[in-house]
Amino acid sequence: MNGLTRRSLLALGAAGWAGACGLAGGALLHRPGATPASAGEPPADDAVDLAGHVLNRCTFGATPAERAGLLALAGPPDAAVDAWLDGQLAAEDDDEPAERALHRFTALDAPIAELYEYKPAVLRDELAGATLLRAVHGRRQLREVLVGFWSDHLNVAMAKGECAWLKPADDRLVIRRHVLGRFRDLIGASALSPAMLWYLDGRENRRRTSAERPNENYARELLELHTLGIGGGYSQRDVMEVARCLTGWTVRGQDGFHKARVEFHADAHDDGAKVVLGTVIPAGGGRDDLDRVLDLVCAHPATARHLAGKLCARFIADDPPAAAVDAVAAAFTASRGDLRATVRALLRTAEFRAPAMRAGKLKRPFHFVAACLRLCGARSDGGPAMLAWLERMGQALFQCPTPDGYPEAASAWRDTLLWRWDLAAALAQDRVAGTRIDRARLLAGGVAALAAHAFGRQPTAAERAALATPGVDPLALILAAPAFQRC
Amino acid sequence: MTDRTLVVLFLRGGADGLDLVPPVGDDDYQRARPTLAVRARDAIRLDDRFGLHPELAGLEPLFKEGALAVVHAVGSEDETRSHFAAQDLAEQGAPAAAGGWLGRWLRRRGGDGPLAAVAIGAALPESLRGAPAASTLRSLADLGGSAQALHAPLAGLYAADPLLGRSARDAVAAAKRLAGLRAQPAAGADYPVDDPFGRGLADIAALIKAGVGLRAACIDLDGWDSHFVQASVLAGRRRTLARGLAAFARDLGPRLATTSVVAMSEFGRRVGENASRGTDHGRGGVAFVLGGGTPGGMHCRWPGLAHGVLAGPGDLPVAHHLRAVLGAVLRRHGEDDPGAVFPGAAIEPLPV
Repeated sequence: MNGLTRRSLLALGAAGWAGACGLAGGALLHRPGATPASAGEPPADDAVDLAGHVLNRCTFGATPAERAGLLALAGPPDAAVDAWLDGQLAAEDDDEPAERALHRFTALDAPIAELYEYKPAVLRDELAGATLLRAVHGRRQLREVLVGFWSDHLNVAMAKGECAWLKPADDRLVIRRHVLGRFRDLIGASALSPAMLWYLDGRENRRRTSAERPNENYARELLELHTLGIGGGYSQRDVMEVARCLTGWTVRGQDGFHKARVEFHADAHDDGAKVVLGTVIPAGGGRDDLDRVLDLVCAHPATARHLAGKLCARFIADDPPAAAVDAVAAAFTASRGDLRATVRALLRTAEFRAPAMRAGKLKRPFHFVAACLRLCGARSDGGPAMLAWLERMGQALFQCPTPDGYPEAASAWRDTLLWRWDLAAALAQDRVAGTRIDRARLLAGGVAALAAHAFGRQPTAAERAALATPGVDPLALILAAPAFQRC
Repeated sequence: MTDRTLVVLFLRGGADGLDLVPPVGDDDYQRARPTLAVRARDAIRLDDRFGLHPELAGLEPLFKEGALAVVHAVGSEDETRSHFAAQDLAEQGAPAAAGGWLGRWLRRRGGDGPLAAVAIGAALPESLRGAPAASTLRSLADLGGSAQALHAPLAGLYAADPLLGRSARDAVAAAKRLAGLRAQPAAGADYPVDDPFGRGLADIAALIKAGVGLRAACIDLDGWDSHFVQASVLAGRRRTLARGLAAFARDLGPRLATTSVVAMSEFGRRVGENASRGTDHGRGGVAFVLGGGTPGGMHCRWPGLAHGVLAGPGDLPVAHHLRAVLGAVLRRHGEDDPGAVFPGAAIEPLPV
């Protein structure tokens, strides 16, 4: 039985004998209706243990069922964590619980040209709602966390140009398709994504005459944000040369036929020779200049360091240890930009697993909202009433107006506490329209047990006293507590 | 500089600038609007060319004391004359921009608290899209309050947290200022409270007076799309507008000096009246700036209404871009580089 001990079977309780049997390297199915508090023993230590830490960083919120499922995968917790991570990184694509939760969101799967038939506000709310519900219900939690990461990295704001109609396709075909694939494929898809061609003006980048200047916007952000990073060793000249390489690519807009069709116009392409980061791209390359330049920037050592730094900031610490960044950059390079291998290497570093790194980060608003819903076993429609909380906290999805995406560091999000507390109170009292929780079931195992699951460790004496304060809703206090803001 | 609030009032529907601020001294105007034109003798004089519609009499004292600036022939690049497209562009601020101009400005500022931006209404306006914190509310009752009982026990827990302790103290302080906050207009501030616009302005004033860190507020006044029998469609709107702004100024008292109100619309309306005694969508319209240190006065490089000058099917052209007004106000609200708020677009300096 693969390390499933009798003790851990008993711990699973109502949540999933069937789920447990179906494991074999896959993650436990988290059914939102499963009795949350009875599924598994709460964390027993006074500090966040490895399982709790992995759930904090690799999911959108620990739940009793998720923790029990993880620990059931093997006897020793380290082995269970490795097995869980393997399952999360495994190749299968389907995520049945997520898909079931999304059945209402019919617009998002439309072929790109048909997206134009929808109102922008509808698409914006559907994409945000679907993203939230995937984060809450999805089985492939680590994949959703990484989708969030790369969506910020390759930010597209739906409010620009025709992006509202195009970002749903970008989400599907660029981010989600390549999240555990190769970085070169991710960037290749992004460079020719209709949404990105609008967002960073690539569609305006043309040189039909020698007098015409290429539009450098995408070229600059490609180097500064997407690949080498600031200080990565490119010059202003490199930006101009990259822009020249990318001239001629455009996308049709909503007027006329073939909406959203990406095209290469040879007569708008600057076909002279270019020098990018010291490498000559000979004249006459035409449409192949795009692949040549993307090959160059993706393979540049600064790109590996830049991406490793950002990944380590997301998973380890806002100011990540240099040794971890080095190891992750090396893994990225050795695997030629294989994102699955790179993330796997990160999660295996001693720095990721070090106790000192636990509970040291702040959940960003989206993570906090999803974690509340997950902990409470909430059924939500992901509709405007819930999305409004993200607006209040400044992380409305796909609305970040700057190409660098929403920031990772805690300093950017500390002023959201007032709204987190308000949401905690409203959710705990089941007063958010379109969302339902079952308080009685949640608290059936006791307040201390639920608090332990929420915090990833036993509550302190001060926390127990606060939770016992007369007239205070303990569920609201758990969600509003500092320990629950941390991850 | 730290305690200023920028209030944006959007007159939705295409407010007729030639009606609100009629160029009574211009003969072409009187000829173009046989039934709708405001006669010079009826208008409130602003200068040799322009008057104020008599129903905006409530704004006259503010103009006379230099607290109100009026800009005419102002608009955006939008030529579609579509409400949807023109409003979006006006709220984005520049064709190449992502998100709202207020959102970008607030994000550039950084360091503002959870109550930095508030929108009165049902949905977040486009101008606030991308803001670091933006709350949409129908009234003050929607704001905070559900977590009051938690604050004392939470304060204790957060005090011990090195990462979040200070932010928690700020949050508790902000919540205290919000607790039970209700509009309490100063004596003589006569808001049109039967209209949500009037109640909304009173609520914004309450937030400003409570010192909760409000940096931007958005509110709409609808109903300006006067294609049909303009005289009756606009009668109530003009009075509500004037009464609301006058009450707001009175309510704020000395705080008006650090509060700017910018009233704008997505476009103005056609010079000639149509067959239904109304007007159709146009280009250049009018904008107002109230308070916040504005020098006041009438501002317009008036193109005239001669046939050869008009845009498209007969519209007052755009002589000043909305950005000229917004940029000038942003400078008084601590923005050193308004151009950065409107990427890829030029901003004409305009002393409003």
